[in-house]
Amino acid sequence: MAAPPPWRSGAASNGYTSVEARRSFAAPRTVGSSTTTTTAAATSPTGGGAAKTTFPDPLKQYVARTFENIAEADKKDVEIELKRIITDAFNEKVVWSINWDEMPLPQVILQKRRNSQGQQVTNSDKSPPLKSFGKFSISDTKKRKSAGDDTTITNKYTERSDKKARQQSPYTGFSDKLSQRDKEKRATRFAKELRAVTPPIERNINSTTHMDIDVAQPLVGRCMTLEKRYLRLTSAPDPDNVRPLHVLEKTLELLKKKWREEQNYAYICDQFKSLRQDLTVQHIKTEFTVSVYEIHARIALEKGDLGEYNQCQSQLANLYAEGFTGQEEEFKAYRILYLLHTCNRADMNELLAILTPTDKQHPNIQHSLQVRSALAAGNYHKFFRLYLDAPSMGGYLMDSFAGRERIAALACICRAYRPDIDIRFLTEELGFESDKECVEFLCDHGAEELIQQKVLDNGTTSIRLNTQKASPIFEQAKQNAFKKVDIKGQL
Amino acid sequence: MSLFYNSFRNYLATADGRGLGNLLSPTNSDHNSFAFSTNHSQIRSQVQNELYGISSFRNGITDKGKNGWIDAVVAFWEVVYELERGDTGRRMGEDGDLGYWGRAYAKQSVYTTVIARGFTSHGWPNWLLPVVYTACRNLRQFAISADEEDKREGKDASKLEDCARHLNKMFTLCLADRAPMEESRKWGTYYIVNLLFKTYFKLNAITLCKNVIRALSATTTEMPPLDAFPKSHIVTFKYYVGVIHFLEEDYVTSETHLTAALQLCRRDCPTNQEHILTYLIPAHLMTTHQLPTSTLFQNYPRLKHLFGPLCRCIKSGNLGAFDAALEANEDEYVRRRIYLTLERARDIALRNLFRRVFLLGEKKTRVPVEEFRRAMGFAVAGKEGGTRKECEPEEVECLLAGMIYKGLMKGYISREKGMVVLSNKEAFPGTGV
Repeated sequence: MAAPPPWRSGAASNGYTSVEARRSFAAPRTVGSSTTTTTAAATSPTGGGAAKTTFPDPLKQYVARTFENIAEADKKDVEIELKRIITDAFNEKVVWSINWDEMPLPQVILQKRRNSQGQQVTNSDKSPPLKSFGKFSISDTKKRKSAGDDTTITNKYTERSDKKARQQSPYTGFSDKLSQRDKEKRATRFAKELRAVTPPIERNINSTTHMDIDVAQPLVGRCMTLEKRYLRLTSAPDPDNVRPLHVLEKTLELLKKKWREEQNYAYICDQFKSLRQDLTVQHIKTEFTVSVYEIHARIALEKGDLGEYNQCQSQLANLYAEGFTGQEEEFKAYRILYLLHTCNRADMNELLAILTPTDKQHPNIQHSLQVRSALAAGNYHKFFRLYLDAPSMGGYLMDSFAGRERIAALACICRAYRPDIDIRFLTEELGFESDKECVEFLCDHGAEELIQQKVLDNGTTSIRLNTQKASPIFEQAKQNAFKKVDIKGQL
Repeated sequence: MSLFYNSFRNYLATADGRGLGNLLSPTNSDHNSFAFSTNHSQIRSQVQNELYGISSFRNGITDKGKNGWIDAVVAFWEVVYELERGDTGRRMGEDGDLGYWGRAYAKQSVYTTVIARGFTSHGWPNWLLPVVYTACRNLRQFAISADEEDKREGKDASKLEDCARHLNKMFTLCLADRAPMEESRKWGTYYIVNLLFKTYFKLNAITLCKNVIRALSATTTEMPPLDAFPKSHIVTFKYYVGVIHFLEEDYVTSETHLTAALQLCRRDCPTNQEHILTYLIPAHLMTTHQLPTSTLFQNYPRLKHLFGPLCRCIKSGNLGAFDAALEANEDEYVRRRIYLTLERARDIALRNLFRRVFLLGEKKTRVPVEEFRRAMGFAVAGKEGGTRKECEPEEVECLLAGMIYKGLMKGYISREKGMVVLSNKEAFPGTGV
């Protein structure tokens, strides 16, 4: 078996969470695959070589594609693998139902299997000294965890489960194969997505220069395209699909430009997520990282995407805590507003506890604190003045709870004013842009019947809301509005 | 050298759980000679010899229980040895990079686990619960010290979180005991719960307290009534439950719990009473709008310092001074988690101010908004404050509306006439006006 590609040994660095299916039965993987190859080899002369079998056209194309672009050295292995795939398909009578266009090529499957074996090799005793050192430290911590317990017992346990797994392997072979196909299917789906955005790059050109990558060093990408779709990683990141820092810097500029020009949020959000992923995978934590998160957070706020904003916000909190500088005050101010949105008193108290006197001098934070105290005092007059005068992206954040506060204010106004109230006054007090918007808001909450035109004593006419009758409506609406707050991935 | 074992056998023979708990607490007794009396390879056989025959004491210690005790005393010796030895004779890199308290914590957590196992697998009787108490209390103390140590060195401080997990296990160990009530470990539940609350508060994870309360209320049917427990357990428990409700703004429930705690609290424990009153005073202020009397403050100078200025401003309706007093003590209030509640007392200050306007106007039921506005202008400026601050009439109206909505004033606003029309009787409910 060929040695795994050198960068793979480094792939186990912890920039991602590897989601490898069926870990618990993992032991037989090497055994399983080697038996399948042998059976395939054994059956192929009789089954595969027979002239009476007819191949579906897509399969023929699949075979053609397999040999289209193949290195001489790999040819033998690929042939065996191809035979295995085809005989398996015949044995399971799915040869006509499989979508051969979607099926990964044998070399892809081989590559993948080598990779997974490569990972196993690193875990085994043959691993180079550096890794074995890491392994020892792991087992050490394990020992400490179960301190006081007999370590031999745990050893016995693992041994037994190993044996069990090996015994099971012949019986689970079939289901393994099935799941293998499922996995490959999924892999192709992802691969296709990736191919759509990144042109394939010759693998072998750069690989020699990265020969000496080790576990301790984070991965460095070598993808040169600026844009990339976001895909949640389920396995080791492939350096060919990861953009290095200098490319990412250009990407950010491109994205900023595109956002200004096109305002396509779905696209921008996706691009930023992949940008963030590339940063995470490569362990890049710099001021640049901060600015990426900040910009994404601002864009998310602009579009009212509080879930995405909150993800960025929590990352930013960590980054600031680690000492990377950015617009920390601006984001503390947003955090205050966000906590107002979620009605999170406990966290608000914690946040107030960590605000420094300098923080409190910052105009954005001052604004947020004023908003906070206005809400606490039920001072809707001041609240909506602050709403219309919010600095930076604060206004967008306040949008998310302005409606709720309008209802609360109306509940209050309807109780306190008699017999009715001028719509003009409501528009002014509740920060509506126009009387029309105000009336629409009232109608949306079922107060349509209670709006009347009236001629006042001084001869002027005004549109008025009957407060006495509207009171129960808004009281009820207020109860509902505060009952459940959508907190969207709360910190 | 055998002093430790003598006392140990003595407490065991007389079924003195508290004495045993104290003995097995490295902070309570001088264990220097015990620590250096032996070494890692000798300790087990030594303990086996010294504990010979304890199963004949018939205090519920069986042969099985004795084995548990051998493990426990060995584990305890490890703790004491770790504490007494300090850094002498320690090789670099031994025990990873744990500091002094980190190592003590590691040993103590082993000891605590062994104690728990004594109950689960060695059938220890429940008069030994004080041993659990001291084990847990010290575990928590070591965890806090270890975290401080780690923080000083800029490392991740996570021992207290780990400690909370230990305590949680102990909590279930007590709560889930199915033995008949007189033999049950349930009697230890509230002590552990209190430690757990304390820990969650320190970790700023107060929401986790709710899980504990939920688990408690789910098993109340089999629990002895709360007042059957030692008073010291109940006072602390009531206090924490009161504070938890306080933080959820459920001031009515909070007040009942805190009042109960205060009534049960020992008279010679002013510090504990102060702790309770720190939350009871604001809670009472929220539910009844009543301020503490000066007699109360006389007994608790610290509370007077904490609440005195604020209370004076509320009484006189001096908004400017209220804001200043709130700001002056802001850090202290936030630290005690009462800031957000006290802030709301501004409503009461405002009510008192408007009430004075009403009284000065000889209780005329129709009061122009303008009069309230002028009063607010004076009040916001404060007694000493030079320039009077002009308030927007809309803002005054808004605050008046808030008063009416919250039931602090009775009446309505007629905006066209610029008038507040107050109710004929009880215009300011609960104030005799």
